[in-house]
Amino acid sequence: MLKVENLSVSYGYVTALTDVSFEIHQGEIVTLIGSNGAGKTTCLMAISGLVPKETGKITFLGIDITHKSPNRIVNMGMSHVPEGRQIFPSLSVHENLLAGAMGRPGRTKAQIAEQVERMFSLFPRLKERRNQGGGTLSGGEQQMLAIARGLMMDPDILMLDEPSLGLAPILVEEIFALIQNIHRQGKTILLIEQNAAMALSIADRGYVLESGRIALSGTGRELLNDQQVRSIYLGG
Amino acid sequence: MEYILIQFVNGLCQGSIYALMAIGYASIVGVTGLVTFAYGEVMMIGAFAAYYTFQYFADQLLVGILASFAAAACMGFLVYKICYERFFDKPRHISLICTIGFSMLVKNLAQILFGANTKAMPSVIQNFFLDIGPVRINAVQLIIVATVIGLSGALYLLFNKTQAGIRLRAVNQSRQAAALVGINVKRTILFGNCLGCGIGGTAGMLLAIYYQSLSPTIGSTFGNKAFASAVAGGMTSIPWAAGGGVLIGVIENIGTAFLPNSYRDVFAFVFLFIVLLLRPEGLSKKEGIRP
Ligand SMILES: Nc1ncnc2c1ncn2[C@@H]1O[C@H](COP(=O)(O)OP(=O)(O)OP(=O)(O)O)[C@@H](O)[C@H]1O
Ligand SMILES: [Mg+2]
Repeated sequence: MLKVENLSVSYGYVTALTDVSFEIHQGEIVTLIGSNGAGKTTCLMAISGLVPKETGKITFLGIDITHKSPNRIVNMGMSHVPEGRQIFPSLSVHENLLAGAMGRPGRTKAQIAEQVERMFSLFPRLKERRNQGGGTLSGGEQQMLAIARGLMMDPDILMLDEPSLGLAPILVEEIFALIQNIHRQGKTILLIEQNAAMALSIADRGYVLESGRIALSGTGRELLNDQQVRSIYLGG
Repeated sequence: MEYILIQFVNGLCQGSIYALMAIGYASIVGVTGLVTFAYGEVMMIGAFAAYYTFQYFADQLLVGILASFAAAACMGFLVYKICYERFFDKPRHISLICTIGFSMLVKNLAQILFGANTKAMPSVIQNFFLDIGPVRINAVQLIIVATVIGLSGALYLLFNKTQAGIRLRAVNQSRQAAALVGINVKRTILFGNCLGCGIGGTAGMLLAIYYQSLSPTIGSTFGNKAFASAVAGGMTSIPWAAGGGVLIGVIENIGTAFLPNSYRDVFAFVFLFIVLLLRPEGLSKKEGIRP
C-alpha cells in the first residue's frame, strides 16, 4: 500500500536518512522504532512531502507521490498525526476537527457532522470541551484531539508520530487500545514509538532505525525476542 | 471642551477607517507571516480605482467599494506572485525587501499613469447633518462608520463561520499542521493576502472620501498608519488591530486640538512608541495558549 524505496534525506550538512526502504501492506500495523535522532520523524515528514528528498521514491496506492505537495498526498487518503501534536491552539476543539475534515473534500456538511459525532463518541472528553480553545486542553487531551483530527478525514492509512509522548502510563494504555481499535476497523497504521515494547507487541511488523539506516526488520514478535533489540530498546 | 468632544467624534470616524486598514493589514501579516511594505500603495490603488469608477462609470458608494476592493485584491495577487510565492523557504527579509521595491515601483508608475497632482475625490455621499447636543455629525462620517462596521462584521463571519475562515486561521497558526490536514497552504495564503489587500483598498477609498482628495503619494502615510495600528494591537490579532486603529484616530484628532494640524502624523507614532515601551507585545494578549 505504501512503499518507500532508497529514501535519503539531509538537512544541510546533517544527513538524517540514508537509503531507507520499507513497505506497508493493506491492513497492517507497522512500527518504526529507534532511539532519539534516529530519523523516525524525518521519515514520516518525507513521506508526507514536508521535507525535500535527496533520493528515493515513495509510492502510495500504486501512485508515485515522491514529488506531490503535502495537501495532495493527504487528499489521497494518508493522514499524518505529527510529533508534538501540533493542534491549532486558537481554534476550538470543534474547529480543529472541522479542519481535519478538509483532508477529504467533497463530503457534505451532514457527513462531516456525523464524523464529528463519531469522534466525540470515541473521545467523550473532547465532547465536553468542544467549544474550548485547543491550546487550553491538557497534554493528554491535546493528543486525543490530534488523533481525532487525523481520523476526521477517514484516512486509508494513519501515520502516528509518538502518540504516547508525555502521557501518563494509564493514558498510554488507553491510546494503544485505541490504536488497536482503529486498526480493527480496517485502517492501515504506521506507528512511531519510543515505547518499543508496547509498539512491537501490537505491531504486525517492525523496522528498527539506527542513525538514519534500517538496521533490522521482522515481525513484531521476532523483534521483541531479538537479542540486540532487547538490549538496546527494551532495557535488557 | 466642546471642541474636544467634536474632535473625539471626528477621531472615532477617522479611527474607524484606520481600524479597517489595520484589519486588512493584520489579516495579511497573520496569513503570510511577513510584514508588508506594499500595503500603503495597495490602498492608494484602491482609492484610485474608486476615483475613476466614480468619475466614469457610476457615482455610487457601493460600486466604489466593489471597485476598490477588486483592484486592491488584484494588487494583492501581484504582491503574492512577485514578493512571496518563490521565497517561502528563504530568509524572511527577502520578501520584505521585495515588498519595499514593489511599493516604490507602484508609487512611481501611479505618478506616471494618474498624474502627480492631488485630485479632488468626487463626493458620492448625499450630505446632511445630524446635531447631537453640541456635536454635529455629517452623513459622510455616518456612512463611513456604517461601511466599516458592515465590512468588519462580514469579515468576522468569514473568519469564524466558514470553511475558508478555518483554513485561514489554521494556516495562520501552523503551516505544517495545516498542510497535514490537507489544506492547500499556498492557495490559502494567496487568498488571505488578496482579501487583506482588498480590505485595504476599500479603506483607502474611504480615506480619500473623508479627505475629499487623493494623490499617488498618499500611500506611505496610509501604510504607516495601518502599520502603527496593527503593531499597537499586537500585529496579528484582528480585533486588537482594529482597536489600535480607533485609538490612533481619536488620539490624532484630540491631539490636533492642542497642536497645529501639521503635527497630526506625529501622534500615531508617539502613541505607538509609548505602547511598545510599556507592552512590547502590543495591546493584545496571546489567545488560546495556556498561561
Ligand atoms: N530541521 C532540522 N534541521 C537540521 N537537522 C535536523 C532537523 N530536523 C531533524 N534534524 C536532525 O535529523 C536527525 C533525525 O531527526 P528526527 O527528528 O527524524 O529524529 P527522531 O528519530 O524522530 O527522534 P526523536 O525520537 O527524538 O523524535 C537528528 O540528528 C536531528 O538532529
Ligand atoms: Mg521524532
